[in-house]
Amino acid sequence: MTITLSPAAARSLWLLEWRRLVRTPRALALAAVYVAFGLIEPLVTRYQNQLLRTVSHGVRIQLPPPAAPQALGAYTSQVATIGLVVVVAIAASSLTFDTRHGLAVFLRSRATVTQLVGPRFAASAAAAALAYLLGTLAAWYETSLLIGPLPAGRVLAGMACGVAYLAFAVALTVLAASVARATIGATGIALAVLLLIPVAGAIRVIGRWLPSSLVGAPAGLTGGAHPLSYYAPALIVTVVASGAIMAAGILRLRNREI
Amino acid sequence: MIAPHALPALLPVLALVAAIDAYCLVDLARAPSVRFAPKLVWVLVILLVSSPLGALIYLFAGRDRARPEHDGRDSGSRGPLAPPGPGEDLAGRVPPGPPALTTTALTRDYGGTGLFDVDLRIPRGSIYGLAGPNGAGKTTLLSLLAGLRHADSGTVSLAIPRHRVAVCPDVPEFDGWLAAREVVDLARSLAGPAASTSTSTSTSTSSLPPADAALAAAGLAGAATRRVAGFSRGMIQRLGLACALAGDPELLILDEPAAALDPAGRAELLALVAAMRGRRTVIFSSHILADVQRIADHVGILRDGRLLYQGPVRDLIDTYLQPRWLLRIAGDTAPVAAELAAQPWATVAAAGPGALRVDATSIEAGERGIPAVVAACGARQVSCEPADADLESAFLALTAASTPVSTGAGGQR
Repeated sequence: MTITLSPAAARSLWLLEWRRLVRTPRALALAAVYVAFGLIEPLVTRYQNQLLRTVSHGVRIQLPPPAAPQALGAYTSQVATIGLVVVVAIAASSLTFDTRHGLAVFLRSRATVTQLVGPRFAASAAAAALAYLLGTLAAWYETSLLIGPLPAGRVLAGMACGVAYLAFAVALTVLAASVARATIGATGIALAVLLLIPVAGAIRVIGRWLPSSLVGAPAGLTGGAHPLSYYAPALIVTVVASGAIMAAGILRLRNREI
Repeated sequence: MIAPHALPALLPVLALVAAIDAYCLVDLARAPSVRFAPKLVWVLVILLVSSPLGALIYLFAGRDRARPEHDGRDSGSRGPLAPPGPGEDLAGRVPPGPPALTTTALTRDYGGTGLFDVDLRIPRGSIYGLAGPNGAGKTTLLSLLAGLRHADSGTVSLAIPRHRVAVCPDVPEFDGWLAAREVVDLARSLAGPAASTSTSTSTSTSSLPPADAALAAAGLAGAATRRVAGFSRGMIQRLGLACALAGDPELLILDEPAAALDPAGRAELLALVAAMRGRRTVIFSSHILADVQRIADHVGILRDGRLLYQGPVRDLIDTYLQPRWLLRIAGDTAPVAAELAAQPWATVAAAGPGALRVDATSIEAGERGIPAVVAACGARQVSCEPADADLESAFLALTAASTPVSTGAGGQR
């Protein structure tokens, strides 16, 4: 079925996604999770020795003084799990538009799958990226105050890598939504794949090429463990794979009947 | 334990926690209802349970995301449906021409069930009722016509552009956080340029913006700014119709459009659909044959995925009309009953006080013989009307006969 949308119709689909973000707790949940971790993780890192003393019951545990990249690393490792779950769940909730039959009829008799998926993917990815950037800025601010400065250029490069990974996660959710109609099913499939990719990364040869290696980029770059060029293969794979799996997802959705 | 220079680092954390608490309190104050506990309890949870844990508990557990009104009769915001006036031009009279839609040997096999060799012919500007028992294949057929499912074989030919087709499912659903007007605006914008240049849907609402006019036509004038999450099922069904009308379609496909409406709402909806005759082509499915008979001029009867009949409703009734009449007499019926019983072409039975049921050997024998017998007896006839002359009787006769596809006199294959 070919449906050509006017500019006004395309605008209305973008407006729909904006409203979805701001009228439901989606935007708030994303921002709250990322900013909360951005604010809390540097605090925990800075006062880890004091925190350990309060729970060690006489056993003396002394960690070395924290370094600034360590605080950023603690933040990225937290958002790579809990933050990712929130991002995928929120993306899946808007991308599984076939879950409710009446809504699917309303949307798919008026717009093509590509027209529907485009704004949903972009809005989910943009909201996730914005939340991630806010959280990273919060972590950077806290780290600078409590522990010490971070190299600005490397932090920004690490943020770009993180954003690319989140876009990959949302693209993977498009494909998951074409496999499972239900939001919970699509969320589960996407998360399972995202959590399995780092397992494959244990193979040294391919580890550098996997999108999951981008998760540690902020800490790796600021700590001087790797130069930016180290992450270039993963960045290229992530961008290409995002496009490919989204195209596959759209194709599958297009062929799905409601 | 925390150094003074770390205080600026703590302030954003406290600000975030306070912001989440404040958001939840404002949301709670604005919410018409909450789940599991009264509002006061939720206020205490937000304020007293370790911040921001209490607020998060409220967000995920206490927030009432959908508050449907289960009563089919909706709140005062619901108005009557507004059928277009006789002189009104919705999309202009549909000019006579080729059928709006035809199908050829349309088949979708779900392993023995589904739809088989359906040849539809929907006259332009007609109201075509698709009738059949549950599971007959009505929804499958409408989905194929709407392009939402693919046929295994056969073709669907549309004589009108695809973007001028609107579909309203039996259970429409919308995002609950949108207001009714926003839903209709979305439907209208997606319907393309034709919708944006269309006039309003009712004479009485011609001064309204198009979305409001569509809402008024569907009886939701007072609910334009209300969020859909609070709508009852009947209101949702009206909203689905408003969305379909907002696109100013040439072909309107309605699947059980009156299923969730109360009797008054159903009558209003049927009147609205009936008023579209000649202006739009409407295909609607229903298992309520009285509704089909009331507004449809053409009917298709489906059973077990096969089209048993299509053609004018009147032809179907006439074809399956039994030579049976209900004769009402003023006074004693005994002399008339005796005289009728003596006729070789008639059998007679009492049908209540002052009434006789007369079965004839043929329509002609009854139409000629009954008045003659009444006149011969000198009885005063109150009325004489064909019995079981409705779509339901015709439907039962047709489906009992298991007739293959037949077409009424005015219908075409």
